[in-house]
Amino acid sequence: MTAVSGSSLSAAGPVDYMKRIKPILAAHCFACHGALKQENGLRLDTGVLARKGGESGPAVVPRQPDKSLLLERLQTDDISLRMPPEGKGQALKPEQIRLLVEWIRQGAVSPDGETPQADPKSHWAFRAPARQPVPVAEESHNRIDDYIAAGLQKRGVNRLPEAPGETLLRRVYLDLVGVPPTMVEQAEFAADTAPGAYERVVDRLLENPRYGERWGRHWMDVWRYSDWYGRRKVPDSLNSYGQIWRWRDWIIHSVNDDKSYDRMIVEMLAADEVAGDDDENLVATGFIIRNFYRWNYNTWLKDNIEHTGKAFLGLTFNCCHCHDHKYDPLTQVDYFRMRATFEPIEVRHDRVAGDADPGVYPKYKYGKPYKPLTVGMVRICDEKLDAKTFVYSKGESRNIIPGRPPIAPGGPGFLGGADWNVKPVQLPPRAWYPGLKDFVRQESRQAVQKELAEKRGVLAFARRLVSEAQAELIAANGSEPARRKLEQIRLTLVVDETNLQAAVLKVAAVEARIHADDVRYLGHPGDADQVARQALRIEHEAKVATARVEVARARRAVVAAEAALAGKATDAKLKAAVTAAKKMLVTTGAAVTTSETSLKKAITSGATNYTLFSHQYARTSTGRRTALARWIASRDNPLTARVAVNHIWGRHFGRAIVASTENFGNNGDRPTHPGLLDWLAVEFMERGWRMKPIHRLIVTSRTYRTTSRTGSTDHPNFARDPDNISLWRFSPSRMEAEVVRDSVLKISGSLDGRIGGREIPQPQGLTTPRRSVYFDHHGEGRMSFLDLFDAADPCDCYRRTRSVRPQQALALVNSELALRQGRLLAGRLVVTPMDDPAFVDAAFRQVLARRPSSAERAASFEFLARQADVFSGAKPSELAVDPKQVTVAPATDPAQRARESLVQALFSHTDFLTIR
Amino acid sequence: MNDFRPPADHARCCGPRREFLADVGLGFTGLALGAMLHRDGVAAEGTGDPHGKVRVVPDGRPHHVPRAKNVIWIFLSGGYSQMETWDPKPALNKYADKTYEQTPLPNPLKDPLFELRSRDVIGGARPHAKIFPMQVGFRRYGELGIGMTDWWPELATCVDDMAFVRSMYTTDNDHNAEFQMHHGRHKLDPPEPVLGSWIHYGLGTGNENLPSFVFLGKYKDTRVRWNFDANYLGPAHSGVELSLDPGDPLPFGRRRPGVLAAEQRNQFDFINRLNRLTAVEYPEDADVRARIKSYELAYRMQKSVPEAVNLAGETAATQKLYGIDNKTTSVYGRRLLAARRLAERGVRYSLVYLSDYGEWDSHNKLQELHARSCARVDRPIAGLLKDLKQRGLWDDTLVVCCTEFGRTPGLEVRDTKQKFTGRDHHPHGFTVWLAGAGVKRGVIHGRTDELGFHAIEHPHYVTDLHATVLHLLGLDSRRLEIPGRKRLDVDYGRPITEIMT
Repeated sequence: MTAVSGSSLSAAGPVDYMKRIKPILAAHCFACHGALKQENGLRLDTGVLARKGGESGPAVVPRQPDKSLLLERLQTDDISLRMPPEGKGQALKPEQIRLLVEWIRQGAVSPDGETPQADPKSHWAFRAPARQPVPVAEESHNRIDDYIAAGLQKRGVNRLPEAPGETLLRRVYLDLVGVPPTMVEQAEFAADTAPGAYERVVDRLLENPRYGERWGRHWMDVWRYSDWYGRRKVPDSLNSYGQIWRWRDWIIHSVNDDKSYDRMIVEMLAADEVAGDDDENLVATGFIIRNFYRWNYNTWLKDNIEHTGKAFLGLTFNCCHCHDHKYDPLTQVDYFRMRATFEPIEVRHDRVAGDADPGVYPKYKYGKPYKPLTVGMVRICDEKLDAKTFVYSKGESRNIIPGRPPIAPGGPGFLGGADWNVKPVQLPPRAWYPGLKDFVRQESRQAVQKELAEKRGVLAFARRLVSEAQAELIAANGSEPARRKLEQIRLTLVVDETNLQAAVLKVAAVEARIHADDVRYLGHPGDADQVARQALRIEHEAKVATARVEVARARRAVVAAEAALAGKATDAKLKAAVTAAKKMLVTTGAAVTTSETSLKKAITSGATNYTLFSHQYARTSTGRRTALARWIASRDNPLTARVAVNHIWGRHFGRAIVASTENFGNNGDRPTHPGLLDWLAVEFMERGWRMKPIHRLIVTSRTYRTTSRTGSTDHPNFARDPDNISLWRFSPSRMEAEVVRDSVLKISGSLDGRIGGREIPQPQGLTTPRRSVYFDHHGEGRMSFLDLFDAADPCDCYRRTRSVRPQQALALVNSELALRQGRLLAGRLVVTPMDDPAFVDAAFRQVLARRPSSAERAASFEFLARQADVFSGAKPSELAVDPKQVTVAPATDPAQRARESLVQALFSHTDFLTIR
Repeated sequence: MNDFRPPADHARCCGPRREFLADVGLGFTGLALGAMLHRDGVAAEGTGDPHGKVRVVPDGRPHHVPRAKNVIWIFLSGGYSQMETWDPKPALNKYADKTYEQTPLPNPLKDPLFELRSRDVIGGARPHAKIFPMQVGFRRYGELGIGMTDWWPELATCVDDMAFVRSMYTTDNDHNAEFQMHHGRHKLDPPEPVLGSWIHYGLGTGNENLPSFVFLGKYKDTRVRWNFDANYLGPAHSGVELSLDPGDPLPFGRRRPGVLAAEQRNQFDFINRLNRLTAVEYPEDADVRARIKSYELAYRMQKSVPEAVNLAGETAATQKLYGIDNKTTSVYGRRLLAARRLAERGVRYSLVYLSDYGEWDSHNKLQELHARSCARVDRPIAGLLKDLKQRGLWDDTLVVCCTEFGRTPGLEVRDTKQKFTGRDHHPHGFTVWLAGAGVKRGVIHGRTDELGFHAIEHPHYVTDLHATVLHLLGLDSRRLEIPGRKRLDVDYGRPITEIMT
């Protein structure tokens, strides 16, 4: 053992265990020698336990550094023995060792009654949420306020009064629908003086489809929505997938419909198993598709585990990829159980009504680029039904631990994840054979029926031509050209008749295939083999008929070629044409023979392999993800509801109750209001996991309606609770990126309210007035305007950042968006009398949802006058604009142009960007 | 145990200030709010972590005395060959056309390092058994006789000022290694903030009127943006892409057509006036004050940025030094000259993307392609080094030149249908060099084996290069972290102190 001298420290006095020693041990040792784990039976989380030691004896021997195993193991040169073990932590610094030595030398004193580390399993978030009693606050009608009142009382702060109506109206609009109230909406609210006016606004907003877009976007942050990316330049879709926008639309619709959250979880993780034939909801599995990485399925599985854990459970499974969790009772085996749950997955393409067939999912071939899918839908399915999961080490899939048996699907053992009852799911026929879907049949029928109608029309026309040609022949007294013409037309008639026969048979074939499908897969009465043989026979007959069409065409071509040659027998070209036509006649004749042979063979062999309407997939699914989803979306899971209401709360107030929204574990942030969080979680579950009632509860609480304004930094509350943890006021915040852009559009009357559809290219962001949520947003780039205002990182956004940057000012002042919409709005603001005071008043109300103060009014008048001067004084050449560059030109009237400039300036106003 | 120790100056943080710090996330590209506040007498806020660790949000002050003020990071994309640039290997000629087994040297493919330092994203072996001779001659230059190939006639004259690290390695054998070079993480692991973002996070700005982390270059492949993505530090710490067109150098940094200069000036004044009225109304709202300041900066930035990238004011001699007078070198010389102007004006970190995406990726025709690419940048890079010296910027500015990985000593044989004359990707050993502030002059550090395969002496993973840059700027990589984001030991890297003065 290395001798360490610590005598130099003695002069400094006694070493304070709590302040100087315990933090070192906590940082370096507790993970393996504490409540979570007791490697070698040793715990170091109290002085007593350290002195007691583990299987090798006492770790600390008071006054005898030389006999203290702790010091020996911290300092040994043998790297296999040295603590912390390699890769599990940093070696201690010499000064830390010196402190430990000195502490031991001084007697290894620790306080009496020192509490050991709590059992990590007893962590608050791992116990079921329960309604804890809280005194009813005076006059309160909303339990939220009771919990908040308790906190206010504890800190000795008073809640500020309710916000002014106009402020509150704007706040709740921006919060619930992501756009501010227009002047008209403000006036309506002001005019409603009956009690409950605010509550009525809330109800209306929650029923407004804009709500789904606003809150859908919040959940898209949490669920990591991303359009496809990878190598967009090529294009090569590697991450996420084309057509994933259908999942985005599903999110928006589900939120608008107030679909229960537990159902949403089940559909996102396992719609293919619980609703395999439900086209509307299959796209929910976009949650899993989003993590897809074509180049490496391990990464796909890894991301599924990590983000399922973070999004729904607030658990950081990712830490357990390589080792047991250092803070939470999650083990590496738990991690691989989760992996086994996802192991069988594969991407699947499905047809969608009215859209072309996307074909089956192409498996990756090395070096080949894959264009993004642009039709149909993408969803998940289980393909590798007997997939096995093996534990590997160091987070490297190539390091599979030899000899270790495969891991069964499951979740964290300490939360009952080892006891799942995983049962394979028998899928409904339309799930594994989508060709049975009504729309597929209908579209197949429509196609052949359309062909049949066309052929009928053509034939009728040919018949008319024949009678005309016959009449001509009679009129021409049987002249040779007329005779030849009639012969040609008759041959065409034969072609058209054959074509009709083929079309009739094609219709019959589709019907026969549908009938066979009905009998074989949907339990309709009939002899399954017999109907299949029948379908196959008619298909072959249709093929024979189609082959005959070619013979008829060839025959007509021969006659035409011979007619052309007649009288020009020496023309080599024409002679060759006759030869070629005759050859074609032979070829097509042979094709008929071949198809007839096939027909006969099909009949005699009794084959039943008629053409299916789509690919057939596995008829069962493993049920692993269903088990996962049901375990998550369960009232017994202590985390799910808490994590969800915490996200909701955080997005209403700008700060969540548990700030680390994706980590509810021992290393996460503590809840600021644990009782409230639990109450909300229970309320959420009892109200059927529906979000709208929770929103309503929150935004109608007094807590939410409190003003944000103190008017002074000297307010006594600042001294007691400077960070407003207790919510004694509403914390003002900056609009999120999408709200900035969408609000400009709404205020100007330009917002296009259409919901859903394929993602719109980013470069159109400043000119296309659709909501921001519909523009493409992916791991290779965000719309630059949105990015400047801290748009969601599509790869990781459990919380958004909110920055103040000069480029934001530039984006507002110099973007086509603000200029164009400012011009439009200035033109649309019609007020009477149309004078400056009325205009300024209207502009403030429309853009900032409030009236200007007298100082602001004065500044505005001055500004209008100054700008009008600039414009009247400018040379015409300065005022000229290139219509190619400027889509909405500024007004030519200097006074009107000054007004445009005023509106544009208001978009840059801090009060526009701020939610107060 | 779980309580955390507030920083000493905690008591000085009044409410609004604290909230101010929290809400603006302390991040401005273009200005370090931390630094601004520090000057205003406001100290940084400590953030507690339930395990007793105290993290202090940077206040713009370095952790130790800096040796460099700013960095010009030159990146050559695609993976230049170490042996055909700055680590010539005559053994390749000696053993040309032999397999590794046929040489008396140990087979590098059987070295445990081979497994250890490569991790496939896609999978599939990439054989390259036959040794490919050097495609260019080389000579020894300078006092130490540092070997450099004949494709660097200009840079060869600078060799006594450069410090070569010939023992870099990375772990991805495909081009995602490019992003790994900038954020330190393999493609299969979640990315970290890039080096420039940490610098911005740690130090803020040296000039409030300019963005502090700048990207100069052109690309069609949008993944290039990953090289200046702040990731979890948030977009405020991402690099700002500047164009060298003084008419439109910064996104949204130009008046739109049809807007008059006087009109805009009035508009800025008006916004300022209104915001000041609001500031009176809401004295507790620190965002308002931050926004007022940011509008003033925006207006100035709109003027400063075009000036900073406008090369017209540079003398003909300077332009010539960078090769701007020559068609082949002009575009690269302009980027480097702009980078020098930005460095002079206090921009902390310029990422100069001095090639097309993947330009150096010479699987085939290596001789032709490398000769062409070297000719494009030799003169401009040498010009930059000379210019920094002659302007007395040498002691302020650190220049780094790097790529994502090296190339195999063996011949590319992936596609058997074609006869290849190039080298495949090679994460196991490559060369980078540094020059300027705080860096030793004319030294070689580290070594690859005789064939240029494995980095065997002083091996450095890419984050060591990051740690070196941070160290020279006065930052300790281990003190750069934010709560809730776990950084691994390898993410911090270790400064290469051997090459520092």
